[in-house]
Amino acid sequence: MARESFDKEIQFLRMLVLTSGAYNRQQFADRLGISIHTFDKTIKRLKEIVNSVYRQLPEEQSKEFAETIRYSYLESSDPMLLFLFRAKSLKESESQRISALLAAMHGQALTVMELLDGCCSSMAEGMPLPDEKTIRNDLKYLEQVGVIKKEPGPRPYRYRIFNDLAAQLSHDELLDLYSFVDIMANTQIPSVQGYLLRDGLKKHMIRNQAAARWAEPFLYKYHYYSRILDEAHLFMLLGAIRSRRSISFLYFSPKKETSYASKNTNPLFERETEGKQQSVLPLKVIYDHQYGRWYLLGHHNRHGIKKYRLEGLTQISEEDTAANELFDIKKAELEQRIQYSWLIDTGQPVTVRVRFFHPGPGIKNFVKERVLLQGQWGVITEENEDFFIYEIIVNGTIEIKPWIRSFGSSCEVLEPMRLRQEMIAEWKEIKSGYESV
Amino acid sequence: MNLFEKIFNYQIISRLEDSGTFLVTTHERRWLKTMLQHPAAAAAFSPDTLQRLNLMLEQEQAIDTQEQLIHKAASRERRVYDPLLRPLRQAITNRSFILLSYHIKQGAAYSRQEAFPYKLEYSMVKREWYLLWYHIRNQKLMSTQLGNMMEVCEEKCSLEQYELLFGKVEAILNQRKISADIKVVKEYNGELSRILYAFSCFEKEVIYNSETDEYTIRLSFANNESEYVLSKTRFLGKRVRIIQNEYMKRRMLESATKALERYEQ
Repeated sequence: MARESFDKEIQFLRMLVLTSGAYNRQQFADRLGISIHTFDKTIKRLKEIVNSVYRQLPEEQSKEFAETIRYSYLESSDPMLLFLFRAKSLKESESQRISALLAAMHGQALTVMELLDGCCSSMAEGMPLPDEKTIRNDLKYLEQVGVIKKEPGPRPYRYRIFNDLAAQLSHDELLDLYSFVDIMANTQIPSVQGYLLRDGLKKHMIRNQAAARWAEPFLYKYHYYSRILDEAHLFMLLGAIRSRRSISFLYFSPKKETSYASKNTNPLFERETEGKQQSVLPLKVIYDHQYGRWYLLGHHNRHGIKKYRLEGLTQISEEDTAANELFDIKKAELEQRIQYSWLIDTGQPVTVRVRFFHPGPGIKNFVKERVLLQGQWGVITEENEDFFIYEIIVNGTIEIKPWIRSFGSSCEVLEPMRLRQEMIAEWKEIKSGYESV
Repeated sequence: MNLFEKIFNYQIISRLEDSGTFLVTTHERRWLKTMLQHPAAAAAFSPDTLQRLNLMLEQEQAIDTQEQLIHKAASRERRVYDPLLRPLRQAITNRSFILLSYHIKQGAAYSRQEAFPYKLEYSMVKREWYLLWYHIRNQKLMSTQLGNMMEVCEEKCSLEQYELLFGKVEAILNQRKISADIKVVKEYNGELSRILYAFSCFEKEVIYNSETDEYTIRLSFANNESEYVLSKTRFLGKRVRIIQNEYMKRRMLESATKALERYEQ
């Protein structure tokens, strides 16, 4: 079977989450560059996964899919989109066999032959019975992903589930572990493995206690809901950087109307894709906390430094390895160029000076607090009773501008003059927008 | 590391749930090992537990992303863990009351207030932990920063009381819900993705008018969150305009007028 890419599912879910209910089927399919038929098929498949993972009650199953995965703050403890990472397809017989093997090794160590016997007797009717070679291959895979372990001792070898983490901790310790995993998965990056662990621990603990008493204690405010979708590509990119390998991919700029195109194998339906084939030596991945978006920065043979949004990358494949020397030079060059990037701008460095006003006596100084918290490497150079001056060197002013503007009338741009003029012009435009209504 | 492993497949997970089998993969162990290196780990576990966890994960390799992954525009990370998280979490999962002693920003202190805690909330913007609780005597919803707490004592709560109080909390939360319609100014439809990302941390619905090719984002939020919605709206500037919610429209006009006064315009 060809390697599944999940590009379609990722693009599909992202659009569904971001545009929450805006498009009808046809509009949705058009924007993804797929047919209505593919749209229906994809939604059916995703629904099946969601229902199986979240074990919904029958009345909830009739809910529209978009409704099911819509962000709801009080119910956001379980990251809904995690089900994407459960989507790897598997033959029915294989999923039955692997589950049966694991269930058999739960609590006891068994040999290959014992497992073969047990497995044959537990397969559903009509399913092909496994042979010894298949079982050995399964065990090899399970050992490789770390869920089982070969016991020390003479042949024939015995295998057991490798879950000391749960087995060796007390209930209270497991609760501490669960809290830690929940908090770190939500506040740190990468997070998907943490969410998977959280999911497993939670199910394990619910099984071992009075189920009804489970209450989720934590919530995370103003978190970007869809950010975990891009972690799907993250490890491949990090791996490529680590091994200095170029990658090629079909890139869909998020500014374009169509954000995906199915890779048709039937030449009759072949049509021109709107994405652009790109080949680049990846150097850095950047996570932008301001929007919850991911970027890939790399070196392009002809165009030098190139920047891509991770959400536009599809059909990624690895290519040649770059020479050590070239990689190091390009990496150092990039690091130097993004040293002053508010986000990823590699334009000319410029000094920005902003006067921030204190909110007034007796009121908590939330302005200064926020500047200190979010102002990155900028510094306060001057301060008196009424205001303070914040100064920062940044590459270009485009990326820092929204942040400054978000302070509204609590600040005034002093330098550069052009940014000051732009700010005045924008406030005038915004003012006229609200005056007219 | 491939996140789309066979072992994570939904059919396998669902079958294992039936047989009560708990699995943990190398992926998860490596991630945990990485996170245990964070200073927060020392506050999250007793020294003995932490030591045993580290020992169990000794063979694993941490996920090192430092060389390849950069964070930009993040709020400075203050402490991820607070010593009070553990007793407060216990109170919430045990469905108990607490007697809470705390002080507020202006300095006033309150001692042993009867409190019904319902969530611990971490603000990704302020990077602080807050306890969301119901003040039983004043019948009000409260939010108190963990750093401002002096003492927490857990008290038993009967199931009937718990359900009654939880019902009250839900009712107040529902009453507090307000909405705002934000229109994407059509010239900026090309930046739709960025705009939708900026609002993706809210509960929202998007309405698309295919005849005029116009998008409207309907946000719902609690009334004490208006300030944050306004700051996001100012963040996006002229790309969006609030078209429904009189109070917020007035506030936007006020912001723009006052900002221009700063520039003596």
